[in-house]
Amino acid sequence: MRGTPPPPGPRILGASFRLAAQTFVADPQWLIPSIVAPVIFALAAYEMYRGSGPVLVLYAILGAGMMSMWGQTLYGSGWAIGQDRFLGTLEPVLGAPARYLWVVAGRVLWNTLIGLAGGALVFLVIAATYHAPLPLRDPLLFVGLFAFVIATLATVGLLFSALFVLTRYGGFIQNIGEFAFYVATGCMFPVVLLPFWTTPLSLLFPPTWALDALRYVGVPGYRGLSWGLLPDLVGALVLSVAYAAAAALLFERVVRHVLAQGTADEY
Amino acid sequence: MSTETLPLGSAPRSHPSLSRTFWVNARFAPRTSLGFMRLDFVLGTVFVLPFTQIVFFAYVAGLAGNPAISVAYVAVGNAVATMTYSSVFSVCQTTDMEKQQYTLEHLLVSPANRAALYLGRGLVPVLLSFLTVGVSLGYAVGIFGAAVAPGALLPVTISVLLTSVAMVGFGLLLGGVALYLRTSIILGNIFLFIGLLLSGANFPLSFLPVPLQWVGEALPLTWGIVAVRDSLSGTGWGPLLVAWAIVLGEGAASYALALGLWEVFERRAYRTGSLGRF
Amino acid sequence: MSLPVILTRDLTRVYQSRKGFFFQDAVRTEALRGVNLEVSSGEVYGLLGPNGAGKTTLTKILATLLLPTSGTARVLGLDVSTESRAIRSRIGLVLGGERGLYNRVSGRENLRYFADLYGVPVARRARRIDEVLELVGMTSAADRRVEEYSRGMKQRIHLARGLLHEPELLFLDEPTIGLDPKSAREIRKLIRTLASQGVTIFLTTHYMFEAEELCHRISVLTRGRIVAEDTVDGLRRLVGGDRTIEVEGYGFDEKELSLLRALPGVSRIVEEDFGPRERLTLRVRTPETTEGDIRASLPLQRDLRIRERTTTLEDIYLDLVEEEAT
Repeated sequence: MRGTPPPPGPRILGASFRLAAQTFVADPQWLIPSIVAPVIFALAAYEMYRGSGPVLVLYAILGAGMMSMWGQTLYGSGWAIGQDRFLGTLEPVLGAPARYLWVVAGRVLWNTLIGLAGGALVFLVIAATYHAPLPLRDPLLFVGLFAFVIATLATVGLLFSALFVLTRYGGFIQNIGEFAFYVATGCMFPVVLLPFWTTPLSLLFPPTWALDALRYVGVPGYRGLSWGLLPDLVGALVLSVAYAAAAALLFERVVRHVLAQGTADEY
Repeated sequence: MSTETLPLGSAPRSHPSLSRTFWVNARFAPRTSLGFMRLDFVLGTVFVLPFTQIVFFAYVAGLAGNPAISVAYVAVGNAVATMTYSSVFSVCQTTDMEKQQYTLEHLLVSPANRAALYLGRGLVPVLLSFLTVGVSLGYAVGIFGAAVAPGALLPVTISVLLTSVAMVGFGLLLGGVALYLRTSIILGNIFLFIGLLLSGANFPLSFLPVPLQWVGEALPLTWGIVAVRDSLSGTGWGPLLVAWAIVLGEGAASYALALGLWEVFERRAYRTGSLGRF
Repeated sequence: MSLPVILTRDLTRVYQSRKGFFFQDAVRTEALRGVNLEVSSGEVYGLLGPNGAGKTTLTKILATLLLPTSGTARVLGLDVSTESRAIRSRIGLVLGGERGLYNRVSGRENLRYFADLYGVPVARRARRIDEVLELVGMTSAADRRVEEYSRGMKQRIHLARGLLHEPELLFLDEPTIGLDPKSAREIRKLIRTLASQGVTIFLTTHYMFEAEELCHRISVLTRGRIVAEDTVDGLRRLVGGDRTIEVEGYGFDEKELSLLRALPGVSRIVEEDFGPRERLTLRVRTPETTEGDIRASLPLQRDLRIRERTTTLEDIYLDLVEEEAT
């Protein structure tokens, strides 16, 4: 028999990661949302919080880093699928024997790393520009949790990317929902400040839990969700796994829906 | 083919009139290049996005507890800043959409007057921006406690309208740059971020280092926000007229610069062959 | 007897779209209406049809990129709706055109990416990419960015991608469109070579000579239905003979047309105006009817021009499409 056996997932992930990196390098404009935007967000938040003590400054930096990571991880991954539509490459990719979920996962992985770099840069810029003391309680644990937050974001990115496969209007829908996500996950303020009836909704997002954990570690005297650090970590982990599993299921259905509708070549 | 057709080259030819070019673009572009193709998305931009943006910054202001940045202050600032989506963001991405649909080269090869063509494309975004800010100010007043002085309706309306027109000019300016770049959407995004930082939507410009204050003052959005805040608080006609004059001046400069830049970048794109790249 | 490589039964495809801004109406378009076809292993099968006939829809369904609305389609013995992943490993698809490639990386990088998605063994990947680049004549330009390619070069990379994993069935949707005559000839030669190696080829094209040159069997699809399917000779017989006689004069009346129709072997007459003159194209089944018979049937015509040629696939195609339209 001619032809080839379907490739294993990690190989697809690697190929997709590589292409995402090449596309990024070929288009330096991506440095703007990855590097410039996070810094601007951080500066804006810093200005708003700086009269209110070092703890809130840390809030600002954390929030800005989180928002920029969200932008890079989710927006970048979704954008890549939108770009697949524009370029007409969605059809040939769907026509390959590779699972599309692995293709998206490779891009999410690349964007996650870039998001991480953007987030780290926010810290450096604020520290260098304002010589602001960052009162981290446990810097080492904080760095580890920082990576964990972005991993939870990546699972949200993976799930939401299905939207971009489903419809050519994915980018628009995401723009509309962007601030709602920032509010719901409490990336710039504790979710406990929101009306109590919104809490269950906030708790549906893994980054809400992960960010709360991050603040327990980073912000001295932080009092967020009442159950503390460990349940935060467990909650974030369980939800992230659930999101990844849901993404795997959803992608199969979404791809089938697109093939049924014949909309993979629309842009 | 009929033998009655005119010999080649003898058909009456003239450039389309300015008004025809303007109106045909005003009607056509929202459906083809501005992304306003569906009613639900227009409603999302007008009703949902402004609300979530105001809520976000209202909570940030609440937590900051800075007396200079009240919840009502950021609610009004962000209400005006939400016009960025309909004006700057959507207008500047038209070049991208034309490239992606392979229509940009056909558009530029037509004899249509460029100014009428670009200005026509701005009409619906101006109206949509006006509507968006109207709804957003409704949120600011109705939910976030922004105060309204008696007789504020007329000056607020004029302020929002002038700012919408000026901001669309700014969008055209950024859109022109995309003739040269691969994409303009990145520029649109930057402006969104910069608007949040440098326009005074979220905190007074005086909080910023002086060089950044200068940048902020060069943005029509900054003065639009000043005009709306002054109108709502009934500051008086003097400061208001100054703000309007600056918005108008910056708007006019944006349009003039946009048309000039389109010309320059169009020529440059012909030289570099970047018209079809995205 | 081996199973057909492609088998469809009563295949239909309906597109639903929406129209309008405030009140959206559902619009229903029937792209395929009960398509039945069988393609055997090693065959070069041509699909012809006017624009909008449903050729690309049919190709995409068979290549697992679109689900049928009803009916069945089996490719390599597998169902396109439920066994798509198994099919994809064994088929190649060349849709062609300006789109469908990653513009910002090179042709070679595009091929490497798809080699991974198709599971070309890693040890063989680089060599296989070199092979297909050589096959399509893109070795020297392989490392340039796709956005710098001409349309013809993009077309070659599309073709190379379709061949990467050595498929046993290749779908080619207008593979020579946009190519200069020399390049198009090279691609046709490549298709013949692939066919000689046992690759089954499903080809859609607008170029009749291409289909005539390459295809063992041809079907004509119009308005979502296959109106004829046979070898080129079989199709000639179907439309009424392999002789085509063109008769030009200054207008023919109904009586003259009746006399021509009454001549032995004349199966079909197509009328066509051009300027003040009129051309009648006669399909003739038998060798008896001669130019003299035609002149004798048109005694009042002073300036007759009569020319005989072999019925081409284009004649057959136009007859079939026109017949379906009327």
